[in-house]
Amino acid sequence: MSQQFTGSTRYILDEELAKIVNISMILEMPLLLKGEPGTGKTMLAHAIANSLNMALIVLNVKSSMKLVDALYQYDTLTRLNDSRFGDSGRDVSVIENYIKMGKIGQAFSSDTRCVLLIDEIDKADTDFQDDMLDVLDQMEFDIIEIDKTIKAKHRPVIIITSNAKKDLSDPFLGRCNFHHIAFPDPKMMQKIIHAHFPDIQRDLMENAIGTFFKLRELNDIEKKPATRELINWIRALQADPDFKPKKLVKGEVPYPGILFKKSPDYSRAVNHTRRRLY
Amino acid sequence: MFTNFFYQIKEVGIPVSPTSFLMLQKALSMGLIQTLDDFYTAGRSILIKSEKYFDIYDQVFAHHFEGADMPDPKGLEMDSMMETLLNEWLKDPKALADALGVDESVISKLSPEELIEYFKQRLADQTERHDGGNRWIGTGGTSPVGHSGYHPGGMRVGGVSNNKSAVKVAMERRYRDYSRSGPLTHAMMGEAIKRLRHMKPSGPKDHLNIDETITKTIKNGGEIELIFDRSFKDRLKVILAIDNGGWSMDPFIPVVQTLFDYARAQFKDLKTFFFHNTIYDNLWEDASRFRKPFKVKDFVRLDPQTRFIVVGDASMAPYELISTDGSIDISYRTGRPSIEQLRFIRDTFEKTIWLNPLPEHTWHYTQTIHTIRSIFPMFELSLDGLENGISHLMAKG
Repeated sequence: MSQQFTGSTRYILDEELAKIVNISMILEMPLLLKGEPGTGKTMLAHAIANSLNMALIVLNVKSSMKLVDALYQYDTLTRLNDSRFGDSGRDVSVIENYIKMGKIGQAFSSDTRCVLLIDEIDKADTDFQDDMLDVLDQMEFDIIEIDKTIKAKHRPVIIITSNAKKDLSDPFLGRCNFHHIAFPDPKMMQKIIHAHFPDIQRDLMENAIGTFFKLRELNDIEKKPATRELINWIRALQADPDFKPKKLVKGEVPYPGILFKKSPDYSRAVNHTRRRLY
Repeated sequence: MFTNFFYQIKEVGIPVSPTSFLMLQKALSMGLIQTLDDFYTAGRSILIKSEKYFDIYDQVFAHHFEGADMPDPKGLEMDSMMETLLNEWLKDPKALADALGVDESVISKLSPEELIEYFKQRLADQTERHDGGNRWIGTGGTSPVGHSGYHPGGMRVGGVSNNKSAVKVAMERRYRDYSRSGPLTHAMMGEAIKRLRHMKPSGPKDHLNIDETITKTIKNGGEIELIFDRSFKDRLKVILAIDNGGWSMDPFIPVVQTLFDYARAQFKDLKTFFFHNTIYDNLWEDASRFRKPFKVKDFVRLDPQTRFIVVGDASMAPYELISTDGSIDISYRTGRPSIEQLRFIRDTFEKTIWLNPLPEHTWHYTQTIHTIRSIFPMFELSLDGLENGISHLMAKG
């Protein structure tokens, strides 16, 4: 209870989410975050680590990943090399010297409580997900090669993100707390932009956000621009010496390629703005 | 505590597990939950595991703690009902005035927007008076550790100001767009496209690849290793027949077309046809149903493996379906009754479905829906319906 998470300087936290993070931390349950790309799922873990002064360990899940990769790795190749050349100073007969901790292993063996971010869990297959949750539930795993159990010294704060390409399995969901981060509304977006660009001109910010939300509302867009795109776009607008915020009011959209990354979306957006201009 | 609430959630069809309920009890007993707002957030994050159910959770919450109307499991939307009612009444101000219990002259002074506001106001009054008495005593406000008040040095709490009570938040139904039932909207496009991705044939790996097996076995020095391939299947052909006749279908046509257009790449062939109300001798390739007719008879020449998907509300006068000259288009006289044509299509293609944008629980009010359902397997044009429909199309045999 001593540590409460309240947000950090670069991350704008809404109150609801702060409550959920705190409750999950105290209940020691992993928190599963879903939401559109660009709603700050990954950023949240960074912000928690930052504001609570904990180390952050990131496990980027890949589709081909096996659970054991996330736990530990037995480096047989180095051992073979060492046994042939014998110049490393490691004792070849002690297998433990050749065990390297994976990300989950690192989080378990860390001397202080840390934040473990498991990013884009949905990329892996269901078996991986379920097995991993078993490990996270019991807070321990075995290293078969040396017959040793690694127990977590401190229960890490676990944040799991998912882009929901696949539905997660029921047993998995049963063991997590869940939150869906909705896309920020324009007011919230102003705060986010302000956190990223503390000395942005007011009219630039308002017009850019206005245009951004109008473009998001276009029909038939497959990949809507997200916060990341907006931030990059504003960066581009600021870098352009010829750019005036008034242009946005007139309906001009410079650099649409920063906002729309799929070609049908791009052409649709460009068509739309052109129609409005003339 | 709150066992009733738990069972109410379960009853409306949200999958909740006793374990998660116990976890919520743990949170309660640890003193983590001080206010009703806390309970709303904690309850949602612990019990509800998918944003699809957030909307319905909001409704149950509002019902349990504020006596708001229970979500009708059949999903009849208050708003849409209100809209139709209003539309109906706008044509007849007298009836409207009577219903609201005010003078007609008052009504006539209001603009439509004001009228809707007024109407909503009245409805809201209604809910407040209609208080079921299952409120939770001592809602909110007593917590000594208000979240909004706590600012440790150098840190900023951003975010929305939380003057609204959890019940109000719940009543706003912010998560409606994520709800699974209800007709498909543009907001759900992404999810819907994912459902269509299932329309890819993938057999089990059960074909022995002999060349590869021999090579591997030689490499293994005689140790036999069998290599299996996925049995080869062609990509699907899809015919989409859309009823673009009546106004009732208007909102759904662009959604359906965009949906299938985005998925086009995964089909071998996607043809779109149009019809009005039901199918007679011809379907049209152009949306105006005038220039390019396509004879239903000619379907026999197409691959019977083609998946045939009809999108329409299947609602019309019974004679349009059954009589020989049924079409409501006077200039268009047909030989066979439409029902025969529909049966013909069903028999021509192995897999057919009918997607209906009308909510499923209203289907039994319409006779023609009954009739058509007996020919085509019918599914609701919603995320759930789409999922079931697609799995029907992809089923074996």
